Amino acid sequence: MSLNYEEMSWSDVRDQFRKWREESGRHSDEVVQLWVAVLEDKVQKTGNERHLILEQVIVAALDTARFDIATKCTKQLNEEFPGSLRVMKFKAMRLEALEQYDSAIEVLDAIIEKDETNAAPRKRKIAIMKARGLRLDAIKELNAYLKKFMSDQEAWQELCNLYMGEGEYGKAAFCMEEVLLHNPHSHLIHQRLAEIRYTMGGLENIEIARTYYSQAIKLNPHNLRALYGLFLCCSYLANSKAVSSKRKESQKLAQWALEQASIHTANHTTIKNNEKLIASLDSAFGGLEIKSN
Amino acid sequence: MSEYEFSETAYTKIIFHAAKYPHQAVNGLLLAEKKPKGSVVQIIDAIPLFHQCLQVTPMAEIALMQIDSYADNEGLVIAGYYAAPENFYDNQIEKAPAAKIADKIQENFKNACFAIVDNKLVTLEHNRSALQVYSYSNDRWSKAKHWLTQSSQTLEGVSLLLKRGAMRDVIDFDNHLDNPENDWTNQFLNQSLKDLQKLY
Repeated sequence: MSLNYEEMSWSDVRDQFRKWREESGRHSDEVVQLWVAVLEDKVQKTGNERHLILEQVIVAALDTARFDIATKCTKQLNEEFPGSLRVMKFKAMRLEALEQYDSAIEVLDAIIEKDETNAAPRKRKIAIMKARGLRLDAIKELNAYLKKFMSDQEAWQELCNLYMGEGEYGKAAFCMEEVLLHNPHSHLIHQRLAEIRYTMGGLENIEIARTYYSQAIKLNPHNLRALYGLFLCCSYLANSKAVSSKRKESQKLAQWALEQASIHTANHTTIKNNEKLIASLDSAFGGLEIKSN
Repeated sequence: MSEYEFSETAYTKIIFHAAKYPHQAVNGLLLAEKKPKGSVVQIIDAIPLFHQCLQVTPMAEIALMQIDSYADNEGLVIAGYYAAPENFYDNQIEKAPAAKIADKIQENFKNACFAIVDNKLVTLEHNRSALQVYSYSNDRWSKAKHWLTQSSQTLEGVSLLLKRGAMRDVIDFDNHLDNPENDWTNQFLNQSLKDLQKLY
């Protein structure tokens, strides 16, 4: 999606920023450009939302190495809220962006000392470990963090990613299950759990993966990843050593999933011969069935 | 030991893909002519794969099969793998995500290459190739020679397009799975790059 900056009014920009905040999407580049082009002069008009916008711009500016903007915005917040720990965090983040990690940690430790229940600086410290490439330390620290802040979904998700980076899929699955407990109706989390189980491999895991994929499709019949995933799982099971009734059932299901995926794609795609590309999957995975019978 | 020549299109798409998701690791495949002319492998095109979760395999299997079939129709073959690591300073092959895909490609295409984007070299004033290319010999990946066709024009073009934010136009397989309207073969981008080359 490209935005036409010239045609956007300050209220459009405000709404766009709000949308990105709610989705917690990372559009640093666009945020900075829109800020400079439109919102900077009009920010007074946004009322109380101004503080949230300033915070958003600071993070985006640090992300894109626009330290001038970040400093300016932090100053504004600091004047309004002198001594605020929340503003102090941005000072630490500035040091972090400058790669002065030791000084950043000092500031963060000072925040934690003043307010032990403050989760944000602890998470920043883990982010610094990640930036330094110390993945194992980050995992250790994040585990300690989650003992204190058990219901932090974002943290569980991050731990899941860190474990996957280390190839510890079993532990990653555990973290994702934790996230699922908080969002039992999210098709994306079912899908991710299925992906992890499928990657782990083996009959048992692939059966679990099939169940998660099925649930994901039930929650959102348009989830293309889940349809393909279900196809892969069922093709695997159809060629496994399961009893023949089970294999037949799996094969039917695999066919159905691939058909659905093909229909969903065909209705929208502009790729030439896309149905042939999808059909190639059938000959590669599904075709094995003939041999095993 | 093979050597590799990257076309403008392939190189531009790799860099765009890394630049579109600067905070995430990305990967993709490289396509070459079926019958190489001489000892140089000509990398004609790049197909961006994923940016979301590189460590899980199901969608990689799906993508590889579809791309293999696509390449076959175009008279091309999957001849390599590229990856851009998440951490800015990681440019070693050991830290590249989902390196297993490269090993698998090499089993099917002997002279396959493994390209890593060196994040530090991706800048708006691009003056040399930001890739490190490896080829497979004696059971391990070792550094190989590579160059770009029309090197100076390509680098100049990429820098210019990055400044304009053109990297947002590149579409990877993840985008396609999110919404099948997105075309992972990037016909639109390929065409505009071709038009642009004519200007030089």
